[in-house]
This record gives sequence, C-alpha cells and structure tokens, in this order.
Amino acid sequence: MKKTICKILAVLMCFAMVGAAFVGCKKSDDVIKIGLTGPLTGGASIYGIAVKNSAQLAVDEINEAGGLNGIKFELDMRDDEHKPENVENLYTALVEDGMQVSLGTVTTKPGLEFKNLSKEDNIFFLTPSATGDAVPEFSNGYQMCFADSNQGTAAAEFFNDNYEGKKIGIFYKADDEYSTGITKNFKDALDASFSADLKEANFTGEASTFDSQIQTLKDCEVVFMPIYYTPASQFMTQATKVENKIVTYYGCDGFDGIDAIEGFDITTIPQEISMLSHFNSTAKEGPAADFIKKYNDKYDEEKEPLNQFGAAAYDCVYAIYEALKVAVENGEEVDADTSASDMCEILKKVFNSDTFEFRGITGKCEGDEKSHISWSEDGTVVKEAIKYIVKEKNA
Amino acid sequence: MKKFTSLKNYISYIVIGLVTVICVILSLSGVLKASTAILLEEIAIKIMLAVSLSLVVGFLGELSLGHAGFMCVGAYLGGKVAYVLTQQLGEDDPILNIVILVIALVVGGICAGICGFLIGLPALRLRGDYLAITTLAFGEIVRTIFLNTSEESFGGPIGLPTPRFNKEWFYVICFIMVLITLFVIQNLIRSKHGRAIKAIRDNEIAARATGINVTRYKLIGFILSAVFAGLAGVLYSYTKFNVSSQIFDYNYSIEILVIVVLGGMGNIGGSIISAVLVTFLNRELANILTGNLAVLKDIIYAVILIGIVIYRNAPGLKNFREKYNLKKLFSKKKKTAEVTSDTVAKEEN
Amino acid sequence: MEFLTTFVNGLSLGGIYAMIALGYTMVYGIAKMLNFAHGDIIMVGGYTVHTVLPFLAILLSGVYNPTVAIISSIIAIIAAMVFCMMLGIVVEKVAYKPLRGASPLAVLITAIGVSYLLQSLAQMIFGSAPKHVNIKALDFGILKIGGLAIGYNTIITLVCSILVMIALSLFVKFSKTGRAMVAVSEDKGAAQLMGINVNRIIMITFAIGSALAALASVFFLLKAPTMTPTFGSLPGIKAFTAAVIGGIGSIPGAMIGGILLGVIECFAQAVPAISPYTDAIEFSILIILLLVKPSGLLGKMRREKV
Repeated sequence: MKKTICKILAVLMCFAMVGAAFVGCKKSDDVIKIGLTGPLTGGASIYGIAVKNSAQLAVDEINEAGGLNGIKFELDMRDDEHKPENVENLYTALVEDGMQVSLGTVTTKPGLEFKNLSKEDNIFFLTPSATGDAVPEFSNGYQMCFADSNQGTAAAEFFNDNYEGKKIGIFYKADDEYSTGITKNFKDALDASFSADLKEANFTGEASTFDSQIQTLKDCEVVFMPIYYTPASQFMTQATKVENKIVTYYGCDGFDGIDAIEGFDITTIPQEISMLSHFNSTAKEGPAADFIKKYNDKYDEEKEPLNQFGAAAYDCVYAIYEALKVAVENGEEVDADTSASDMCEILKKVFNSDTFEFRGITGKCEGDEKSHISWSEDGTVVKEAIKYIVKEKNA
Repeated sequence: MKKFTSLKNYISYIVIGLVTVICVILSLSGVLKASTAILLEEIAIKIMLAVSLSLVVGFLGELSLGHAGFMCVGAYLGGKVAYVLTQQLGEDDPILNIVILVIALVVGGICAGICGFLIGLPALRLRGDYLAITTLAFGEIVRTIFLNTSEESFGGPIGLPTPRFNKEWFYVICFIMVLITLFVIQNLIRSKHGRAIKAIRDNEIAARATGINVTRYKLIGFILSAVFAGLAGVLYSYTKFNVSSQIFDYNYSIEILVIVVLGGMGNIGGSIISAVLVTFLNRELANILTGNLAVLKDIIYAVILIGIVIYRNAPGLKNFREKYNLKKLFSKKKKTAEVTSDTVAKEEN
Repeated sequence: MEFLTTFVNGLSLGGIYAMIALGYTMVYGIAKMLNFAHGDIIMVGGYTVHTVLPFLAILLSGVYNPTVAIISSIIAIIAAMVFCMMLGIVVEKVAYKPLRGASPLAVLITAIGVSYLLQSLAQMIFGSAPKHVNIKALDFGILKIGGLAIGYNTIITLVCSILVMIALSLFVKFSKTGRAMVAVSEDKGAAQLMGINVNRIIMITFAIGSALAALASVFFLLKAPTMTPTFGSLPGIKAFTAAVIGGIGSIPGAMIGGILLGVIECFAQAVPAISPYTDAIEFSILIILLLVKPSGLLGKMRREKV
C-alpha cells in the first residue's frame, strides 16, 4: 500500500515538473508589461540590481500617479547572469509571458543577442546601460547611455583640449568589449602629438593585482581608465603604495560608484579623479539628488548601492511612459492589449519624431531643471555629457 | 530474454526518436512554444556534451576538465566557416543552409578532433589529477586565445557573429546529431574496442599485458570525445547570434562533468537523463526565481547537487538507498529484495 | 631596475599564491581530493575580517592608538582563521566525510557544490557590491633601497609564507599528528590498522588548510583590498596550478610553484602586448612542465604495481 502511494507520488512529481515547463508567470490583466534581463547574481550583479530597483521605483511612482490613463505598468526582470547564452531562453519566456515593451539588457554582450531576437519579433527596447555600438543596430533598439565610440571620442576631445603636452597613459581591460571599444575610439580620436609618448597597460578577467601595470604607467601624468570602478579602485589603492607621477585619473561612465565602495576612503587617493558620464551619482542638488534620495530611502544603500545604471533605468521607464503619453495625445490607441509589435511602431514614431524631447535625470541638468534628452534615428541618445570631478587632487 | 536485451540496447534511440517525432507533431500543429523549442536545443547540445565526456570520464577513466575547450574550438571555427559561407552565398535557400551547416560541422568536428589528439598525447604520460589540470589548462588557453583575437578574425572580446538557424526547427537537427553521437559512441563501447577501453580503465597494466594497444585506445577515446564536443560547439554557435569565448571557461566544463557524474559513471542512459534534468532544473529556476529571489537559484542548485551526490554515492547510505529506490519502486513485485540489491550493487560498480 | 621591481612584485604575489597552495597541497596530499571550494574559503576569510574589524574598532574606541590598532587587526586575522577553520571542519563533515570511500569524482562534485553554495550565501548576506577592506594598521609603508621601492608588506608576505612552509614541514616531519598525516596519505587502510584515527587526521588537515586560506586572504587584501563574493576563485585556481607545478602533496613544491607562478604573472603583465595572454602563458608553462616532469617539480613519482 505504502509502495503504491510512493509510486503515485513519484509519477505526480514527474507530471508536476513537466507541467511547470508550460506555466510561467502570466501577465496580469490591464497592465503594460515591461520586460528586461540583467545580471542579478554573479560578478556583474551590482549593475543589474541597481537597474532592477530603480526601474521598479519608476514603475511604482508612475502607477501611484495613476499610470497611463489608468493603465498600470508592470516590471518583469529576469536574471541573465551577464551571460549571453541565457538571453534567448529568458527573452522567449518574457515574450510568452506577455512582454509588450522592453528595457533590453543591462550589459552589452547579452544585448547583442537581445537586439537580434527582438528584431525578429519587432519589440521596442530602450536599454539603460548596454553601451556597445552595435546594440541599437536595428530600428527597434534605442540606448539611454552613450555608446562606446561616443564616449571614447568625447574623452579624446577633452584630452586634446585640456591635457596638451602631458604624458598620457591608458589602462584598460583587454577582454572586455566595453573597455576595448572605448580605448580604440579614444586612440583614434587622440591628437598625434600624444601618440609618441602614449603608454598602455591592460589586464584581463578578474585580475586584481596590478603591480606590473602600475610600473608601466608610473611616469604618466594623466591616466585614462575606461574600466569599471572595482578594478579602478584596486589600481588606485595599489598605486599609492609606489612612487608615481600620476596627477589625474580620468574615467568613463564605468567609474560611477567609485566613491561609494563600502570602506573605500577616496581621500586616501592623492590624485584627482574625474569622469565623463551622463549621471553624477555624487550630486548634492537638482533632480539627480532627488532621485538619489528616493532610491536610498527605499533600498539598502550598502547592499544594493545606486549607480548610473540605475539612474539610466529610471529614465528609461519614464521615457517610455512619456512617449506613450505623447502617442495617446496624438490619437494612437494604447492599452494593456496592444501587441508588442504595434507598441514598437507607436514608440518608434514618437522617438524618431523631431519634437519628442524627454526631460530626465541623466545628462546635464541645469540647476533644478531636468536634462534634455532626445534620440537620433539610429537609436543613439542625444544629451549633454557631464564631466565632473569625483575627487579633487590632494593639496 | 535475448530479444529483451536487444531492445534495451536501443531504448535510448527509441525514446529520443519518439520525443523528437512527438515534438515535430506538436510543432506542426503549432502547440509547441518557442521557449520549449529553445529548451530542446539546449538539452540536445548538453546531451551530446555529456555523452562525449562520458566516453573519457566514464569509460576511459580519465578526468577531463577541458571539455568546454573542445566545444570552443568547434563553435569558433565551425561558426566562422558558417558565417563566411552564409555571407558569400546568401541565407534564403534552406537547402543551402543545411549544406553550410554540414560543412561547418565537418570543419568544427575535425578541428576539435585535432585538439583532442593534442590533449590525448600528454594523457599517455600523465596520471589522474595531473591530467585533469592539463585539460583544464588547455581549455583556458583556447578560451584566452580566442578572446584576444582581432575583431576582423574572430571578433575578440565582442565575440564572433554567427548565423542563427530557424529557432522553431533547429532542435530537430540537434536531436538528429544526438542520435548520431549515441550511435557512434554506443557502438564503439559495445564493440571489442569498447571492451579494450574499459579494460584500460579498470587496470591499465593488466590491459597492456593482454596485448591491448593502450596508446591507440586512449587517443581514440580523447579524439572521439573531442570531435563530438566540437560538433556540439558548432550546433551551439548556430543557436546564438554571437558566440563569445568567455562562456567556455572551466566552470562550463565542470557543469558538463556534473551532468556526467550525476548520471552515473559509464552509464550513457544516466548521462542523458541527468542532462535533461539539470538543464531543465536550471531553466525553471531561472524563470521562477526572478527579481529579488534570483540569489536563491544558486543556493537551491548547490544544495540539490550536494544532496544528490551524497545520496547516490555515500557508502554510509547504502541501506537507505536500497530501501528507498526508484528502481525498486517500479520493479515488479515478484522480484525478491535480493535481486534488487544485486542490481544496485552492479550499478555502483 | 624595472626588472628588479617587477621581480620583487612577482615574489610577493607568489608568496600569496604559495600560502594558498600550501593549504591546497596539504588537503590534496592527505584527503586525495581536489578541493574546489578552497578559493571560496579565502573569500569567507576576507568577509570575516571585514565584519570583525569595525566591531573591534567600536569595542576599543576608548583606547585607540597605533599599537591597539595593530593588535585589533591581528585579532581580526585570528578570528578569520578560527572561523575558516571551523567552516572547513563543518564543510568536511557535511559534504566530504559521508563520501569517504566513494569515487573521488563524487567528492569533486560536492566540492563544486560547496563552492557555489558559499558564493551565493556570501552574496545573500553581504550583497554583491564590492567591499573595500582597509587594514590600515598593517600598512607599514615603503622601504627604499637605492632606486628600488619595496612595500614592507611585500617582505612580510614573503617571510610569512616561508615561515608557514617551514613550520608545516617541521610539523609534518616531527609531530605525532604530522607523522600520522604522512601515514594516512600513504595508505589509509594501513594507517587505520596502526591505530590512527583517520577521520580526525583528515579533519585536522582541513582545519589547517582553511586557516592558511584565511591568512592568505589577509595578505591578498593587503595587496588588493577590494573584494566581491567571487573574488576567491581566481587566486584559488592559480594556487591549484601552483600546487600542481610544485607536485601535489609536496610542501616545498607548493612554495616553489607559487613563487614561480607569481613571478611569471608579473613579468607577463609588464609587457602590454602579451599581458592579455597572461593566463594562457601560465597554463602553457604548466603543460610543458608536466610533460617534462609528469608529477610536478617535487612530486613523488608513484610506480604503479599490478
């Protein structure tokens, strides 16, 4: 008798498992579902978590204010672990669960899969932080962040104007497309006068000891670092322990958050740390500061810190919301049952129109005014970059 | 009785064939979801990897931690050939696509096979864990080299763009490849060559003494295993728009090894079942645990992994295993307890 | 001069690898298992220091001066070592001991499971944001000899790893437990017959290995202070490579392997053109070396008998 029960249980388990394959979390009624994938576990999870929290914050705010003429939004974020191989599964599941509009992916490499997949289904996506040049390749893809080539060129122009005659070094991550992409464009746009003395050093993988690289770069006055802030902080701390002539560290948007590393006292770094980004996460006033406060009120600052990825995601949700509002005003019909493809056409029309301008928290905000953000037809963002000094040079 | 054993020999072909046919029928009637088709692709590739690794680990008795390296070679070289040919010849003709796929498979398989030969050579000299670290090192070397190629050749850090086969139907091709893999490897194992390989596993010196050409069989094992890993790599490249070698790190090799060990050493049917279950479990966990719960995914996976391995292998749990055993549960009531425990003991050997 | 600086940097990195490799090699030599979770014990050590240090600072806030700071840092290190020791024992009892006598592959898989488990637990408890562990009190500045600038910590790391190596060698050679360890590594069954408690010996080995991992994590953090829940896996795999180069099971071998690896790594990274291939170079050297000496530099060659 006992055995029979066991048998039945075992068979039932099998059925339950197979059944589970066919049930997902279906879209609830009367909402517009925004889907995205990003790293929520593993090494890159800090970016994905900030995006998840910030996007959720924006969705909650919009819903509280009544949504889009009563239609609420819903966020569905899946964990891609920063692995491109996971994207197709997650994307298909999202589509099957009723995703109508998307924030794409948080990071570039999964984004390269995402753009191809979403092209087939014609799903609109506005990625907060996949900076790769190829991400908005097709007409349905847009970026909220600056593209890699854009960042490299902008940084080189700044160097040409401000650091003439100085010795320059580059420290980049050789196996990371973000870092190599920016480095390549930076070197292309840099004045020939620098090239003779240009020092280069690089690292790969999860390496965290940079003695040799510091040796290579120790005679440089300005070091350009198109890398993420964790290795950057390692480099800076280790460089304080040897004699070097470095005056300024100059980073791109990956630097963002360097002053917020728990336990890292940025004043122990004697050099100036500047960066070129679209969001100032140290802002003390203006719309950016308001957002930072809202975020920190809601989430654990230490465990799930905010960075520019999150700010961009917040803007993405609002940009989609505003664009849909414009579309509704123009007489388009948008509701919870609008298909993803129709939604894509509607949004594309708005985003490509000359009159659409979104006021957000990323990009340069003048005082209490929000920044001006618009998009060009190729999906790249047009807004003013902010060059700001994270930390002044120690006297 | 003889009829029964011959049926048992073909059971995996029959099951896989049936599943494929059922899925094709479901696809034709439009019931099969795209996400299930993708899951099937993934499962098929994992089965190929697990079965080919099982040849080295389970039958040849050598620990290999570099299986992802062979896959990487196949994915990159096969994928590159496929990409170039598709660019040159266009991508609209389905027959042409199949021809290109076959060419890519041949190129990927041969290149991976050459690497398998290269790794098989030190295997003749190295023992146990020293060989394991050599294979791990090989995998990492391959990965690092492909990662640092120029953008024009193999894409460098961005990865190699590859053609994506129609995702609604590609699983059929994958399953055909699984059947081919099974056919080759099972026939090899059941032949006199297979017995020679198993003899080397059980006692190399004794095998050599009976006149078995150890060098030859070890190389055959490594090359065949690498060829099928390479083929799986080519198929993998066809399931993605962009292949990046960062995926093929030692963790991926370990993932395949986990599948083989969970399935039982030298048990091809077990490898297939565990490939299906592990892939399925990972997928479901990823889909169910979204948002804040994502961190639980790895914890659950790890606990299940430790639990299963201890349950299946711990000498102290032998009696427990015999008492609560799925096989016993579904076996006919007439069989006595002794018979069941006998089969369990056999399985453990 | 640059050559010399790079060499010294390599020595200090090698010292850290060596210390981790010592633990690895002990565990391998005696329990005969590849402990893939060893790298994650390093991570746990780092997080323990990170948790204990601020706590001590509050506790001793009244009497804070440089000496107290150094003492409290040392207390934190000891706390980390003790905690990792206990963790090592628990992991061994729960995940490895039930499998004694089973196939070594099964143990390898549970070790991988433990590694996943520790990493995701750390992420759950501490979050995935990087943490900067600043052991200020143990930062002794730079020693200048001519044009050569060496951090005092570089020297301390190197000296410590050599001391640990000597201590371990003496322990294995002369103490009763150490002799028992050798016996267990030679032949478990015979050791048991001689009245050695094999389980206890293996437990002690894990305790020592884990404590060394915790100690190594402190030196690693002194060098590269920012850590994440996955930061242990890279030094873990490097130390594994070092242990194999030296010959798994050999204590001086682990030391030589670690130093060799550290020096190679630093020289490779000093040249930008080959720096991306650092890992490939290290692993190639490993393969070539194993082809020449199949059981590592100082490993014992075991003749197989029928």
